[in-house]
Amino acid sequence: MEARPALSIQRSGARQLSDLGMSGGLSSSLPALSAHLEETYPKLPDTQQLSAERELRTRPLVHATHAPTNSGVVGHIFSSSSGFSSELHYSSAPPCEKHSRNAPFISQLPTNAAALPLPQSSNSALPQSTISSNYKKENRGSWCTDPGFLECPISSPVQSSQVESSSCCGIMTSEDFSKRNDWQEWADQLITDDEALASNWNELLVDNNVTDLEPKVAYQVAKPCTTMPAQKPQAHQQLPSPSVESPSVVNASSSANNAPAKPRMRWTPELHEAFVEAVNQLGGSEKATPKGVLKIMKVEGLTIYHVKSHLQKYRTARYRPESSEGSSEKKLTPIDDISSLDLKTGAGITEALQLQMEVQKRLHEQLEIQRSLQLQIEENGRYLQMMFEKQKSGLDKLKVYPENPPAPSSHATKESSAKSELEASQMDHANSGTDTINANSMLERSSREMGGEQKANETGDLEKAETCISESTSQPSKRPRIEE
Amino acid sequence: MKFGKRLKQQIQETLPAWRDKFLTYKELKKLVRLISSAPPASLEYGKAEAEFLYLLNNEIDKFNTFFMEKEEDFIIKHKELQQRIKRVIDTWGPNGSRPSEAEYKDEMAKVRKHIVNFHGEMVLLENYSNINYTGLAKILKKYDKRTGGLLRLPFIQKVLQQPFFTTDLVSKLVKECENTIDEVFPAEEEERTKERREAITIEGKGIFRNTVAALLTMQEIRRSSSTYDHFSLPPLNLPDSDLIHSFHLTSPIPIP
Repeated sequence: MEARPALSIQRSGARQLSDLGMSGGLSSSLPALSAHLEETYPKLPDTQQLSAERELRTRPLVHATHAPTNSGVVGHIFSSSSGFSSELHYSSAPPCEKHSRNAPFISQLPTNAAALPLPQSSNSALPQSTISSNYKKENRGSWCTDPGFLECPISSPVQSSQVESSSCCGIMTSEDFSKRNDWQEWADQLITDDEALASNWNELLVDNNVTDLEPKVAYQVAKPCTTMPAQKPQAHQQLPSPSVESPSVVNASSSANNAPAKPRMRWTPELHEAFVEAVNQLGGSEKATPKGVLKIMKVEGLTIYHVKSHLQKYRTARYRPESSEGSSEKKLTPIDDISSLDLKTGAGITEALQLQMEVQKRLHEQLEIQRSLQLQIEENGRYLQMMFEKQKSGLDKLKVYPENPPAPSSHATKESSAKSELEASQMDHANSGTDTINANSMLERSSREMGGEQKANETGDLEKAETCISESTSQPSKRPRIEE
Repeated sequence: MKFGKRLKQQIQETLPAWRDKFLTYKELKKLVRLISSAPPASLEYGKAEAEFLYLLNNEIDKFNTFFMEKEEDFIIKHKELQQRIKRVIDTWGPNGSRPSEAEYKDEMAKVRKHIVNFHGEMVLLENYSNINYTGLAKILKKYDKRTGGLLRLPFIQKVLQQPFFTTDLVSKLVKECENTIDEVFPAEEEERTKERREAITIEGKGIFRNTVAALLTMQEIRRSSSTYDHFSLPPLNLPDSDLIHSFHLTSPIPIP
C-alpha cells in the first residue's frame, strides 16, 4: 500500500523523535481499513466504536493522497476550524464537550512533539514517557478538566471506552511510546467538538473532501522550533536555546530548520478589507464561497482554509452579533456588573459605561507603559551583553573602557536623580537607571560563569573590568536593593 | 510564590473562556525545582530539562494561537461596529433616510454598550499578553538562577517577537475604539459621572470586573518583590488609584 511509505515519511518528517516503529504496526491494518472506508465514508458514525475506527481510517486516506512535504503551502496558517469540521463529524460524540476553541488548540499538539529540543542521544527514549504524559496533560487540560488521560471525567461509560479506544486503541501499556503518541495525536485531533462548524459540514462534503483532508497534513508538520544541538553534557550546562519562531506575515516563509513551517495566519485590517471587498463582489457573505473569495483576493500565501475560517467568523459577526459578543460567552453588560442603584437608571447607563471606559482606558495605558518598559529592559540587557562580550574578546581595550562607550558614563550622572524620582517616573528609571546597573549585573553574572570555566588570570582581568566600571559611575557597584 | 498567587487570582477573575489559556506557571516552577534538585548530567536532569523546554514551547504556541484567533475576531468586529454606527447614523440620524430621534437614541445606546465591551475585551487581551510575558520572564529568570544556565536572555528575545507579544495591532484598534466612543457618547454627562463614585459594587464576571481586577493585580505584582533587580519593573503608580480601589469586587465563584 502506498500509504505506508508516505505515512512513515510524514511521521518522521513531522517529529524529530523517530517513530518509524509505528508504521510497521499500522500497515497491517491499512488494507482492511481502507476497504471499510469506501462504504462508510460519508456517513456519520452511530457508535463510538465506529467513530474511533473511522478516525483511524481517515489518516491513511490523508497520507495516501498527499505528498509528504507540502512546505510550499504557506508560512503560518492557522485556520483549523474549517479544516477540522470534516473530521469532527466522524467522531460524533466527544468525551468532553467543553470548549469550542479546542479545535485550534489541539491541532497544534501533534506538532508540538517536534518542538522537543532533545539531544539525539539515548535520552530520547526515556524522556518520551514524561513528555507524552506531559503532552497528554496539556492536551487533556483543555478538553478535560483533569490531567491524565485515564482520569478524564467522562460521564457515560460508552464515552470512556471511546477515549480509551480512540486515544490509543485500547493498548496502553505494552506498545511503544512512539506508537502511542501517534494514535493519541490523531485521536486527539479528532476528538473535539465544535458545534459552530456543523453548518460547514455539507459545504465541505460537497466541495472537496479529499483536498480538505489533504492540507491538514501540512498542518501537522513540525512547527518552526529550531533546536540547536545541545552541547554534549560534560559540563552539564546544556545550552539548548529553542527558538520559538513564528512568522507573522501573510507571505509564506518556511523556517530555517528542516521541518516545514507550521501554518498559522495572522490577519490584518487591510487584509480583512480586501476580504470584505471580495465577499461583496460575490454578493454578500451568504453567497460568497471561499474559493471565489480566494480567487478574487489573489493574496500570496493565503489558502482556502484561511478564507474558510475567516468567512465563518465573518458570518457569525454579521448575522448574530449578539452571540459573537464577548466571544461566545453570556452577554456581559456593565449594568449587570454595577449594582449600585443610581447607575441603573436610564441616564445612569451611560454613566456606567463611561466609568467602565475610564477604567479600561487606564488599564490600556498602563499596559502600554509596562510593555514598553519590558522591551526597553531587554533591549538594554542585550546591548550591554553584546558590549560586554566584545570587551571580553578584546581585553586590551580594557584601559580605554571608561571613556569608550558613552552610554554607561553619561547615564551614570542621571542615575542618582532618577533614583530619587523612582516612584514618580517609571520611564526615567528604565532609561537611565538600568543601564549602568545592568552593566554590573552582566559583569557579575559573567564572572560567575567564567569563574568556573576559564583560567584564573582571565577572571582577574574581569575583576579589573568591574572596578573600572564602578569607578566610572557615581554609584557603588553592588546591586542596589530598592526599598519600598 | 507571589507571582504565582497573583497569576492564579488573575485567572480566577478572568473571563471564563480564557481560563485555560494562561501560563501554567506552577507547573514550570515545579520543573525548575526538579531540574535543580537532580544531579547534574544525570538522566533525570536531562529529562526534566527537556520537559521544561518542551512545556515552554507549548505554552508559547498556546498563547500565539489564542491571541491570533482573538485578534482576528477583533478585526472583524471592529469593522462591523463601525459599519453599524454608520448605518444607524445614516438611517435614524438627523440627516438620515428615516430620521427618528427615539430610534437613534435606542440604537446608539446598544451600540455604545457593544463598543465599550469590545474595547474592554481588547484591553483584556493586552493584559493577557502581558501577564503571560511577565510569567515567562520570571520563570526563565528562576531557571537561570537555579541551574546556572543562560537560557533567559536569548529565549526572551525570541518571545519578544512572538505574535502574542506584538500587540501593536490590538493597541491600534483600542485607540480607534476610544476615538469612536468619544464621538458616540454625549459629552455633557461627564461631570455627573465623577460624582457617583462611592461604594460601587461590581459583581459578576463581566468585562468591567475583569479590567478592574487586572489593574489591581498589575499593581500588586509590581509592588516590591524579594528579587527585585534591574530586569524588574518599577512599582506601578496609578493616577486613579483611589477610584480603582474603591470598587468592591465580590468574590468570584472559585474554580473547583
